[in-house]
Amino acid sequence: MSKVVDREAVRQAIEKLPLFSSAALQLLQVISDPDHELEDVIKIVKFDSALTMRVLKAVNSPVYGLVKEVTSIDRALSYLGERMVVSIAVQENTGQLFSKPLEGYQSEPGGLWRHDLFTAIASREVARYANGNFDLDLAFTGGLLHDIGKSVFATFWKDASLEALGQIEQGIVSDYLMAEQDLAGLDHTEVGYEMARHWQLPESLQAVILHHHHPAEAIECMQPLVYAVHVGDIVSMMAGCDTGSDGLKYQLDPGYQEFFNLSPNVLAEIVLNSEEEFSKAEASLVS
Amino acid sequence: MSQSILGIGDYGAAKHPGGEVKTFALGSCVAAILLDPRTKAVGMVHVALPDSSINEAKARQRPGYFADLGLPLLIQEMARLGSPANGRGLVVKLVGGASIMDHNDTFNIGKRNVLALKKHLWAYGLGPLAEDVGGNHSRTVSVFVDTGKVIVNCPGRGQWEV
Ligand SMILES: [Fe+2]
Ligand SMILES: [Fe+2]
Repeated sequence: MSKVVDREAVRQAIEKLPLFSSAALQLLQVISDPDHELEDVIKIVKFDSALTMRVLKAVNSPVYGLVKEVTSIDRALSYLGERMVVSIAVQENTGQLFSKPLEGYQSEPGGLWRHDLFTAIASREVARYANGNFDLDLAFTGGLLHDIGKSVFATFWKDASLEALGQIEQGIVSDYLMAEQDLAGLDHTEVGYEMARHWQLPESLQAVILHHHHPAEAIECMQPLVYAVHVGDIVSMMAGCDTGSDGLKYQLDPGYQEFFNLSPNVLAEIVLNSEEEFSKAEASLVS
Repeated sequence: MSQSILGIGDYGAAKHPGGEVKTFALGSCVAAILLDPRTKAVGMVHVALPDSSINEAKARQRPGYFADLGLPLLIQEMARLGSPANGRGLVVKLVGGASIMDHNDTFNIGKRNVLALKKHLWAYGLGPLAEDVGGNHSRTVSVFVDTGKVIVNCPGRGQWEV
């Protein structure tokens, strides 16, 4: 393979990424603790005035059609849910990463944000059909960050990517992730994992980012979460919310059946609910 | 020239010169496209799911979402532009209905959408003259009034006519 990507160059690009604000990082840490309370989230938001402003702007967005203006964070949060606050914080702290076009994937500007936001919502919907207890907002957060690696990888992937679709069609590789490995020597999940470590994101989110295409490789206690995002990602691509040329070119791991009861009708409900929440969330998060 | 963009669950028709009906990124959704060779009208519905019985509220709100309700509504829309209300003589093309790789039956919504549309078309005595369905790629599709052409686009694969 002549076009192998220079790992050192990727590492340097990751090192240059600005860190998350301490409020955002705290927020992600709190969310990933299954025992946290809404109060904990409210406290963090109240201490960050930029975040407070964005949250109030979102809740007063015309898509929610609230008659009276919401001016308190407590009310905004109980209306929007923790997940919308997470979306806002992540959007604020990742700057251009989500919005720039992904060159190697030929996606539109904003394509990665739309895909990750849809996946977040769909992963949470999938988690509602879990056999056991499930932290729904953690599934959301995992979905929101799962493909963040593409934002850095896309530039390096640009030249090598031209052969990816041909390789898949000829059966040389079994899916797009393998094409990335084969042509570039690394893939978007590895790059995302390094980014998550650079940002010091909670371990559960690191696991989602690294294993979302091969959830069986995650350590056992993380598997339900990683499978929820694995399926949410697929629902998102099925709904046409993908990141370009790699759309739908991944494998479904049937191991999800151990954790979730998904019949064709349940899946149809998940598609319906996700699409409905997505259009509202997307509109209210326009920055 | 005017372009009418359909979102998921939308339907629409056009017959003015320069008109175009378009929908983006079908994924497992299917676009049923109708063409009337006499009036030159073209129409499209962007169907996401095969059957409306799973959610009555949504069926009332967004009937075009479902194959069983969306198709009759599109035929009605074509009738408003002068086509026969029973759909007779309309040319049908189907685009979309893709799936993930290595899926199981549960996840084959694309195929169920295509089958449901064919079943409901059949009730009108109609069937697709051409189709570009299945596979593992999401399609964007346009139909043009002036030429009657149906053009499919796909990131990384270019465009082609159906
Ligand atoms: Fe991915
Ligand atoms: Fe993804």
